[in-house]
Amino acid sequence: MDTMDCTQARNLLSEYQDGTLAAAAAAALAVHLRGCGECAGCADSLFAVRELLRVLPPDPAPPELLARVLAAVESEDRDPRASSAPGGADATRPFLSRFRIPLEAAAAVLLFASVYWYRQTPAPPARPPSAPAAQAPETTPSVDISTEASASAAKVSPSGIRLPRGNPKTAGEEPPAVAKPRTWTAADLPSVPAIRASTDSGRIVPIAPFFGPTADPAGSGAPAFDERQSAEAGGGADFRLSRSFVAPPSRLLRPLPYGRDIVLDVKPESREGAEERIAEAALRSGGIFERIERDSESARKGAAGTIRVILPEAAAAGFLDELRRIGNMPQEGLPSAIDIPAGPRPGTIAYAVRIRVR
Amino acid sequence: MQRPGGKGQPVDLLVEAFRKGEPGAFEAIVRAHQDRVYSFCARMLSDREDALDAAQEVFLSAWRNLAGFRGEAALSTWLLRIAANRCLNRIRRRKSLSEREAPWPEPPGEAGEGSIFQPAGDEADRPDRLAETCELGEILTEALSRLDPGSRWMVLLSDVEGFSYEEIATLADVPVGTVKSRLHRARMAIRRLLSPVA
Repeated sequence: MDTMDCTQARNLLSEYQDGTLAAAAAAALAVHLRGCGECAGCADSLFAVRELLRVLPPDPAPPELLARVLAAVESEDRDPRASSAPGGADATRPFLSRFRIPLEAAAAVLLFASVYWYRQTPAPPARPPSAPAAQAPETTPSVDISTEASASAAKVSPSGIRLPRGNPKTAGEEPPAVAKPRTWTAADLPSVPAIRASTDSGRIVPIAPFFGPTADPAGSGAPAFDERQSAEAGGGADFRLSRSFVAPPSRLLRPLPYGRDIVLDVKPESREGAEERIAEAALRSGGIFERIERDSESARKGAAGTIRVILPEAAAAGFLDELRRIGNMPQEGLPSAIDIPAGPRPGTIAYAVRIRVR
Repeated sequence: MQRPGGKGQPVDLLVEAFRKGEPGAFEAIVRAHQDRVYSFCARMLSDREDALDAAQEVFLSAWRNLAGFRGEAALSTWLLRIAANRCLNRIRRRKSLSEREAPWPEPPGEAGEGSIFQPAGDEADRPDRLAETCELGEILTEALSRLDPGSRWMVLLSDVEGFSYEEIATLADVPVGTVKSRLHRARMAIRRLLSPVA
């Protein structure tokens, strides 16, 4: 006797075909199916669907998948800091991988100590006799590390002019004409982003220019006093990179390519906010970015916008991974190698990410 | 094709070779599983480039974590678990998700309503008959793409890849009963999509 209605019966079909239905329910369903042609047809077609799915063959993977995977693995293999792999290539150097973070910390401490030591080194004895003001202590205006100097309310420029701390520009002093010793600050270290920029309320906040220093044909390598002061004062617009770390004059004489071009295809519905996502990816990677306004020429070529980024070399692979999450990078737009020394400083990499709506 | 649940000897050998640092072992693993992983990603994401990216992420993640792979499940099962998570994350990120989703198909009031192709005739309405005359893979892939992603991956893992309900429940962190009911609804939806008058 059929004790089931069609709705009940159809809800149990999957379990019935799996063989996981309780015996009593299975028997009642079988009775219903024998008497109900509609439900029996439904059961047949459901079974057919499951059979079709079971034998659905896999699509062959495109040939580029293997190449991309191997390239990505090789890239991580070359850059162990970007990999968290406990095995694989890291298995061949387990000892070092165990001490990765302590080694980096030790390197940072060593670097700091080197800068500190350099700062404490007495000035060279050779001095022009005609510059008595240079007898002042050889502390540089941009860095004030020593306790003694910290206790002072003012600091002394190389020329002996006392400058108020924290706001050197208000001193109204002209940069001295004499050559100053080369000094380094934390902002000069290539692995530390010089300027942090952020997105604010959906808009990208403009940042200081990447290539602040103008070409210096003389190539003296000594940063100008006002440049150092403005950088220390935190004035983003006045920021200048130390010339010690920019590309050599031979490169500055020709237009800088802003690193490797990357074409990033984004879907129309994902276009909104693509720049912001790229900028955030750059910041997460410890880099800096600059938004290039769309001009008529790039619009003609289909580029919807360009973001220039400069990253620490070690973060390039991670940044490219983040870009792949934002959009698709066609093969022709994907750098085959990421270790291109195209950044403006040693240890950095520059990319120009051109957004294309596809 | 090696099904999940068993410990395929060749795969185990490849994993061992990889752990020993033998050159070419990882490439062999990718070659052995790339079709399956890519297919799963392509059917989940319905986008070739997205699927390529996701499959690449899966193998990269595998490369990073293979040393910790304990072999409790087959390597293919492990890879597909990673793939499922990656694909679901990607789907969540898509802003146009609602546009891509089709509502759950209701039982058609009229023949052909809600179907992805026109009914061909009495006998030909059966899905197996239709599959004989049409491109099977395309039809099924299209039907799968009409499912909501939360059910699609369950159908792919269960009916295409052969995962057990328990494995899927563990992966989805839901009770087995929920997996069964979702799967049943998804299968019935595919049946309706494929056979308008069934």
